[in-house]
Amino acid sequence: MKRIAIRNLRLCTKDCLCLYVCPTGASDTEDSIIDTSKCIGCGSCSDACPSGAISLVPAEYPAQQRKSEKVMDVMEKLAASKASEEKIASMLSADESAPNLKRLLKALKQSARLSAEDIMREGGYMLPQSGNSLSLLSRLADEPSQGFPKEAAKELLSSIRCNDGGYEPPSAMYKCERCFTEFESSSGDKAVCPMCGAEGNHLKPI
Amino acid sequence: MKYICQICGYVYDEETEGVPFGELPDNWTCPMCKAPKNMFLPEDAEEEERKKPDMEIPELQDMERLPPGVLAALFSNLAKGAEKQYQSHQEKLFREIAAYYEAAVPEIPDADISLLMKIAERNISLYGEAMETARRDGDRGAMRALTWGGKIQKIITSILSQYEKEGESALENVDIWVCTICGFIYTGENPPAICPVCKVPSWKFSKVV
Repeated sequence: MKRIAIRNLRLCTKDCLCLYVCPTGASDTEDSIIDTSKCIGCGSCSDACPSGAISLVPAEYPAQQRKSEKVMDVMEKLAASKASEEKIASMLSADESAPNLKRLLKALKQSARLSAEDIMREGGYMLPQSGNSLSLLSRLADEPSQGFPKEAAKELLSSIRCNDGGYEPPSAMYKCERCFTEFESSSGDKAVCPMCGAEGNHLKPI
Repeated sequence: MKYICQICGYVYDEETEGVPFGELPDNWTCPMCKAPKNMFLPEDAEEEERKKPDMEIPELQDMERLPPGVLAALFSNLAKGAEKQYQSHQEKLFREIAAYYEAAVPEIPDADISLLMKIAERNISLYGEAMETARRDGDRGAMRALTWGGKIQKIITSILSQYEKEGESALENVDIWVCTICGFIYTGENPPAICPVCKVPSWKFSKVV
């Protein structure tokens, strides 16, 4: 399984051994975030790091734990109720003039959101690349409510590859203007002409 | 006799503490996590509490399956999932969608503290119901989230009822901290060394200002 290195900035003490041992320079970046496009997953950096700040994660995440319908059901119901808690705390804190109650309401709003996030994480929506997450996003983008950030959704759907077979990106037809071949390409992949290898501007969606 | 804190598991042993639990003042709080006295149960009753059958759950009316508030939390959680994978651009896009749904949550009529209290109390039973389902399924992940959330829900109701009783003085000259991992709420000068619910270190707490 291909792996890539990630650095925990909280633990990094800049002993910089990773720079010395990295064969591709992936760990030497101006923002301290390892360049995943250069990382070959050899693990030299995490072996060498004296502060245990670098770990290796799979390049492609495994499918998340399957959830039963019943669990998803109760989790959604609970999350909806936590969301009401969040909304009420948020509405009340905006208008509250008593300073201590205002702080308490803000704390309740934050807390309710964190709990609702955790409930949905364990209610079947842990990873962005799961079929559950992507097909939900695609349903919402297909029939967008007013003002829905459609571009953001489209970009996510085309850049995240599903890891459990639960979501198939719709395919699109292209015509190659170099060799006039017409072909089908999954919208999750970068379109490349199967005949002449042309990409980008040479291809027109039809 | 031993009494156990339902939030952090602190054991109050009457023998070693020297003061019978019943004689502690009403405003006594857990030395570990500041949970109020009524969050403690006698050691043997704790087992009973765990075995208690499902409570009667009030019906939630007209509940959409995934209302905007749930979608807001679902997508802000996916933003965190992208962030952990160092996909900062995807994180930004998920946050944009989460913010859209947060703004789309309809105003709740007659919102006031007592409605907030009622919903917080209802959530305690919803946590109980969900826990039974997760346990029957052997879903450890869901049980983990529900254990944390259920404890936090109890703390929320006790802080709210304390405020209802004492008003502003309940929180005078004291900071309010939220654990940024699990949502545990703590009042005190400094955050606890570790979160009593999810066990993260104190720097994971943020002060509410």
